[in-house]
Amino acid sequence: MNLFRSEEHIARWLGGREPGATITAAKLVELAYAWWDDRLSPDWRPHTREQNQAILERLGLSGEFWALP
Amino acid sequence: MNDADLELRRRTYAFFVEHGRAPGAAELGEPEEILAGWHRLHSEHAVVLNPATDELRMLNPFSVVPTAYRVQAGGRWWYGNCAWDAFGICATLHTDGRIETSCPDCGEPLALEVRDGRVDDESLLFHVLVPAAHWWDDIVFT
Repeated sequence: MNLFRSEEHIARWLGGREPGATITAAKLVELAYAWWDDRLSPDWRPHTREQNQAILERLGLSGEFWALP
Repeated sequence: MNDADLELRRRTYAFFVEHGRAPGAAELGEPEEILAGWHRLHSEHAVVLNPATDELRMLNPFSVVPTAYRVQAGGRWWYGNCAWDAFGICATLHTDGRIETSCPDCGEPLALEVRDGRVDDESLLFHVLVPAAHWWDDIVFT
């Protein structure tokens, strides 16, 4: 899960491997805040699979690649 | 996850954030009990242990060990496990921050500022190689 300068850099880094998924840094920040915001809350409970999937879907990250187990 | 394990997790994170380093088991209580609790939390992906040493490896989004993702936030430098976690440190601490890393392809240094939940360079791209269904198959690789 890395940050790259551009699509060209991702393709070169993959070196022929099957690409995964690419999103912008702006979308990543949204995802990080939605996913991690409660981590130090005294009332923290583990997110359920459904809660985490809902976070992904709310940000438009859907489809087989983003399907949690 | 029972209340005792939730409390152990809370104390483990609180120690890490206060001291900037992970606690040893003996710093939180009777070592065998703490280790047993950490193993239960590890099995539920609430902490990540180093299987070779039983030491804490990840308190997601924080990395206990140095990584390529350095984060300055809340008056201290931290390490994120990946780019997602690096931003997650700012989110977790509810503070602005600075992320320093490099492009894995060319090695060019990358530095981003996070202010009020927004990043100053939105042109960079985040690539996830492993599908979500397999993130926890090998979380260190992921």
